[in-house]
Amino acid sequence: MSEKELGKKLDRCLADGAIKLGTGLGLGIVISVLFFKRHTWPILFGTGTGLGMAYSNCQNDLRSFYMLHRSEKEQ
Amino acid sequence: MAARILPVVKLATKLTIAGGALYVACDSGLLGSSEQGSEALGKAKAAIPPAIEEWMKYFGLEAQLPTIPKVEFSPVQAWNSGVRQSISTLSEAPSKATAYTNHGVQYVKDLTK
Repeated sequence: MSEKELGKKLDRCLADGAIKLGTGLGLGIVISVLFFKRHTWPILFGTGTGLGMAYSNCQNDLRSFYMLHRSEKEQ
Repeated sequence: MAARILPVVKLATKLTIAGGALYVACDSGLLGSSEQGSEALGKAKAAIPPAIEEWMKYFGLEAQLPTIPKVEFSPVQAWNSGVRQSISTLSEAPSKATAYTNHGVQYVKDLTK
């Protein structure tokens, strides 16, 4: 993987992380207000889920360079 | 009868709102892959200044918000130049220290002559 490509992937990871953190936070707040009487734990759960999704995406993205993809395997 | 239906209606409303929020999040690609996420971030960044301007006009606060000065500061450049400076200082340190010590010794010798 070239340095430029790696840089782009890391940029994407950070942007994706920010988006998913915000989304998780927002959804956590909505669910906390609607169903759980404004407790804190759904907000934390949502934030954590968002961060976890971002981490998993980033991991897959960085590993994909070294994986043999199905389309290449079939050729 | 209304007293029995009301909790059901409340629950249904809450479920609708939560479901709608989840649907909007999934549909706009906020919970998708990295590319979709960074695309969404780019769109949001591009949409913020016009939105702020509109709100300012709506509230009649046009002239009050000072424009954010364009800071020509790149953290990456600053960091890189910092690393270069520190490493070059570290690499020159022994020779400079020797030179300064020699100067100092010479100065003291000259004083005692």
